[in-house]
Amino acid sequence: MLKLKTFSGPFFVWSATAISGLVIFTILAVLAVTSWPSIAETGWGFFSNIWNPSDGKYGILPMIYGTFAVTLIALTIAVPMGLFTGIYLSEIVKPSVRIYLKTALEILAGIPSIIYGLIGVSFLAPFISDNLELQTGRTLLTAGILLGVMVLPTLITLVDDALRNVPNRYREAARGLGLYRYEITLFTVIPLAKNSLTSAVLLALGRAFGETMAVMLVIGSIDRLPSPIYNLLVPGQTITSKLGREMAESVFGSIHFSAMVFIGFILLITVLLITYLTGKFSKKIIIHE
Amino acid sequence: MNFKFSMLVAFIAIMAFSSCKDHTKNTLKIDGSTTVLPPVSASAEAYKSKKPELNIVLNAGGSGVGVNLLGSGKIDIGMTSRDITAEEKKQFPNCDFQVHTIGKDAVVPVISSEIYDSGVQALTLQQISDIYSGKVQNWKDLGGPDKEILCIDKEKSRGTRHVFMEVVMGNKKADAPGADLVLGSNNEEQTAITQSDAAIGMLSLAWLNAEVKGLSIIIEGDTIAPSLENLINGSFPISRSLDLLTNGNPQGEVKDFINFLLSSDGQKMVEEAGYVKVKNL
Repeated sequence: MLKLKTFSGPFFVWSATAISGLVIFTILAVLAVTSWPSIAETGWGFFSNIWNPSDGKYGILPMIYGTFAVTLIALTIAVPMGLFTGIYLSEIVKPSVRIYLKTALEILAGIPSIIYGLIGVSFLAPFISDNLELQTGRTLLTAGILLGVMVLPTLITLVDDALRNVPNRYREAARGLGLYRYEITLFTVIPLAKNSLTSAVLLALGRAFGETMAVMLVIGSIDRLPSPIYNLLVPGQTITSKLGREMAESVFGSIHFSAMVFIGFILLITVLLITYLTGKFSKKIIIHE
Repeated sequence: MNFKFSMLVAFIAIMAFSSCKDHTKNTLKIDGSTTVLPPVSASAEAYKSKKPELNIVLNAGGSGVGVNLLGSGKIDIGMTSRDITAEEKKQFPNCDFQVHTIGKDAVVPVISSEIYDSGVQALTLQQISDIYSGKVQNWKDLGGPDKEILCIDKEKSRGTRHVFMEVVMGNKKADAPGADLVLGSNNEEQTAITQSDAAIGMLSLAWLNAEVKGLSIIIEGDTIAPSLENLINGSFPISRSLDLLTNGNPQGEVKDFINFLLSSDGQKMVEEAGYVKVKNL
């Protein structure tokens, strides 16, 4: 292992670590402290479905529901497509073609989310309302589809990396045993890459949770649980779209502001949990050596 | 390597220099109502060509945002299309809100052109209130086609909503259980109504067009069209003043800019934006 002999080396490493840790701790502490007034005031009232700050009602169930519903739709679309495209990129396609596909994917991953949002508002939403004969195309489903397309490039790249991390000698050994190519991929490469594939999906999940701009434009932003509850063809609200729309309207220091911070806090805790799980899964990838 | 390094130095120098230059400029920060935005942004452009050394930063996050940012000292001028509420005044005890009216506007209930053309062209305030409270959910109950009403609401602190709800529902913060969508700016609302063929929403008079038709309002048997004329003579029921807010009496650049908006040049821009100028009041 490389030894850092000078004083400055360890100093930089330690201070950088300490600062990063401090930033995260400060964010958590500020969010917790700022959301306390609304927790004290509202208590279990948070678990209702009416949000009306002028009445002092802060029910967050519609936003929690919307966040999970939209993410679920997004992953339902993105995970199968991402897995198959990743397998194609890593195992099947010729290297000469692969370069172009990779470049295209990187460009796709770099498109700002507001662009996806504009495409969603001007094309996807009318398309959905016309074809499903809905009152409005701004629905949970629209947001989910849009989000699925948005996380797809990230997911494909991660899946591709995960599969290519499996050393070639496993493939060679499998071929030596006379396995077909689909058998090599299905029974050798994928089981070996299982943990990194899981962490790829979890990372995509984290990205879907936090996406704001595009979702905010197409979701309809109404704080209401759908009826019946599994009806995804109605407008809804996610935590991020709520924050995006209402944060600037709430007065700093008011209960309203504090309640907004509280839903942000919930979002952060969820994302942290996902990140923790991701770490837990990716730690186990020492199998190859 | 050397070349790259010298480029980097040059880049940093340029950045530092340009930011220095910015600091010597006077900056005027304005934020608030999207309704008040069009005349203010036209005036800001005209005013800047007269005073190139002045930097005007113009944003529009809604009336509520304008009041909040002015109250917390982040901007110089707030734009509002409604009165400041008592709670807002209480929240910012250190801010001495001064109101400068630059024009007058009507909030018009608007519907998709398809519904308008099918014959629904005037409603009573009670009928509009029934739509927003969810009692009426289909256009056929109001003499239109058999289509579900797409009822579009606005974010709660928007000026247009305060004024509309005050007149229609009797309370500016009224809940709208009949609403299907909640949108923000006038632009967003206009787009959604254009895209739908069965929508109702609320827009400022200046935002009507061929796809977004204004409803006439029936009061005691009289049908009052949403026109500039009816706004000027005061018969259209949902009207409001367009205001600029300052903290205390305006000084220096802030004062000059407000005076420019109240001058004949500025007032012409208020009219061009589709509103009524102050001197007609």
